[in-house]
Amino acid sequence: MTRFSDWFAWLVLLFLAAPLAIVVPMSFSNAPSFQFPPPAWGVQYYRAFFADPRWLQPTVNSFIIGAATAVVTMALGIPAAFAIVRHRFAGRGWVNLLLLLPLTAPHIVLALGYYTYFGRLRLTQTYLGVVLAHTCLCVPIVYLTLSAALKGFDRNVERAAMNLGANPWRVFRHVTFPMLRPAFLVAALFAFIQSFDETVVALFISGRDASTLPRKIFDSLRTQADPVVAVVSTLLLGIVLAGTIASRLAARRRRVETPA
Amino acid sequence: MSAYLDIVDVVKSYGAARPAVDGVSLAIGKGEFVTFLGPSGSGKTTTLMMIAGFEAPTSGDIRLDGRSLVSIEPHRRNVGMVFQNYALFPHMTAAQNVAFPLRMRGVQRAEQQRRVAEALASVDLQALAHRHPREMSGGQQQRVALARALVFAPDVLLLDEPLGALDKNLREQMQVEIKRIHREIGITMIYVTHDQTEAMTMSDRVAVFSNGKVEQIGSPLEVYNRPANRFVGEFIGDSNFFAGRVDPSRPGWVELAGIGPVRIATQATAPAGEVEVMIRPERLRLATGGDTGGADNTFDMTVDDVINYGDSLLVIGKTRGFPLRARMVGGAADGLQPGAALKLAWAPGDAHLLPRPPAERDSAV
Repeated sequence: MTRFSDWFAWLVLLFLAAPLAIVVPMSFSNAPSFQFPPPAWGVQYYRAFFADPRWLQPTVNSFIIGAATAVVTMALGIPAAFAIVRHRFAGRGWVNLLLLLPLTAPHIVLALGYYTYFGRLRLTQTYLGVVLAHTCLCVPIVYLTLSAALKGFDRNVERAAMNLGANPWRVFRHVTFPMLRPAFLVAALFAFIQSFDETVVALFISGRDASTLPRKIFDSLRTQADPVVAVVSTLLLGIVLAGTIASRLAARRRRVETPA
Repeated sequence: MSAYLDIVDVVKSYGAARPAVDGVSLAIGKGEFVTFLGPSGSGKTTTLMMIAGFEAPTSGDIRLDGRSLVSIEPHRRNVGMVFQNYALFPHMTAAQNVAFPLRMRGVQRAEQQRRVAEALASVDLQALAHRHPREMSGGQQQRVALARALVFAPDVLLLDEPLGALDKNLREQMQVEIKRIHREIGITMIYVTHDQTEAMTMSDRVAVFSNGKVEQIGSPLEVYNRPANRFVGEFIGDSNFFAGRVDPSRPGWVELAGIGPVRIATQATAPAGEVEVMIRPERLRLATGGDTGGADNTFDMTVDDVINYGDSLLVIGKTRGFPLRARMVGGAADGLQPGAALKLAWAPGDAHLLPRPPAERDSAV
C-alpha cells in the first residue's frame, strides 16, 4: 500500500513537473522558434527579453496591477471578514454569498461583462479597470482565507488586552493584527498571485496600454511562437521558487530561535 | 462589612429566553475572597463578565467603591482578570506579556522593567521571563497570567475558572499560591469555579449560583452545614434527604415520612410544617452495642455497596426503603460487605431542616 502510494506520488509529481522540464531547456535554446530538444544552447532570448520594452512594460504592468489588486482587495476583504465572522446582522447570509459569487462565475463570462460595461465607463485599457476587475476575482479568496483565520481566533486574548487597559484600536494594533499577520500576508500573496496569473479578463480589457504579462505571452504565442515566452516562464518559475525557499528558510530560522 | 464591590439587582437577558443572570445582588467587602460557585449555565461567569465590562447588564447596577462601573469601558475599569485558557499574547514573551498593562498606562520604561521583574518574581518565574507562552507548561502560563493581572495594581482581581485546565497536583499548588497572593496583597478577589472543593478551601465567602440567581452566600462552613435550600445542600458535599413534618405541639421532634419521629435540635431559623431533613453522610456513625439510648436517633441500614476512598469508606444502602449514604473513617467499617445490616446513630444536632419546595409536597408525605 505504502509502496503504491509512493509510486503514485512520484507519478503525480512527474506529471506536474514535466512541462517545466521542457520549458526551462527551451529558454536556453538558440533555435529561431520553439524546438525541443534545443539544437544548440545560448542565452540570446534572455538578452532579448531584458532589451525589449514590449516585454518589459507588460512585466512592470503585471507587478503594478498585482500589487494594487492586493492592496484594494485587502482593504475590502479585511473589514468584510471581520464583519461577517464577528457580527450578527440582517442579511449576513446574503452578503456572505455575494462575496463568494465571483468564484462560481466562469472568468469568460465575467470578462465579457467587464468588457461591455467598463467600455461604457471608459475603463478598458486602463490600470484602474484591470485592478477593479481583478479585485472582484480576488475578494472571495482573501475573504475565505481571512475568515478561516478569524474563526479560529481566541476572543479571550482580545478581552485580556482590553482588560489590561488597551482601547479598541490598541487591541487591534498590539494583539489582533500581530497575531493575524501570517494570515494577512498569505491572503495578500494569494490576491497578488491570482492577479498576476489572470489571463482571460486581462485579454478582454487590459488593451495595449495596460497589457499584463499573461496577455503578452498569449499575444506572442498567437502571432510568432517567440522563444522569449520560455524565458518569461523560466523567470517566473525562478521567482516563485525563490519566494517559496525564502519563506521556508524564514520559518525554519524562527523555529531555531525559539525552540518549542 | 461595608460593600466595596456592590452588585445591585443585576439582570442580564439575551432575548426572550430565561435571563442568564436573574436579579443578582451581592455586597463584597474590600480584601474579601469571594467564590462564585455553581454548575455551568448558572450565571456565575456572566456576572463576572459584567464586572469586567465585557457584557452590559440589562438592568441593575455594579458599583466599585461607590461609583458605578456600568457605563465605564472595560479598558478603563482597572479590574484585573485571569482567564481559564490563560489568554496570554502568543507573540510576546512572558516579560512582554506582564509589561503590557504598564505599557498601555504609559509607565516609564525603567519603572516598567522594575515592576515586571517584581511581578515575575512574585510568581517565581524570573528565569522564564524571555520565553514565549508556547514554550511554557500550563502551570507556568497561568502564573504569567496571574502576574500580568496583578502588575498594574487593579482594584479587584477576577479569576474565571483559572485552574480548570490543570491536573490535580498542579491545581492544589496553584490554590495555595493564589491564597498566598491574596494574603500578601490583600486584594479583593472574585473566583469563579464549579469545583466545590476549591470553593470550600479558598474562600472567605461562597456565593452559590443556580439558574441565574444567588441561592445562598455565606462562609464555606455556613453553606456546608446550613444550606439555605436543597439545591445548595446537594451541590455542596454529599447528603441524605428525608421528607418530614414539624408538629408545633411537639418541639424538638420531627416526623420523618415512612420512618417515624426523630429528635432534631432546634434551629434559630427553622422552617415549620412540611420540611426536608438533611443529614450529611459523615454525621452517621456506627452504633456500638446497646449504648444508643439517650438523645441519639438511630437508623437500621441494609448495605448495598461499599466504596473505598482510602481515607474513608462510603457505605451505600437503604433504611426502611429510603436511600441512605454513610461515610465511615478510621477502620470503623473495615471488612463490611454488601448485604450486611448496620445500626447507625446520629445526634439531634447532626440534622439540618430545610423548607420543602411546594412542588414536592403533595407526593412526599
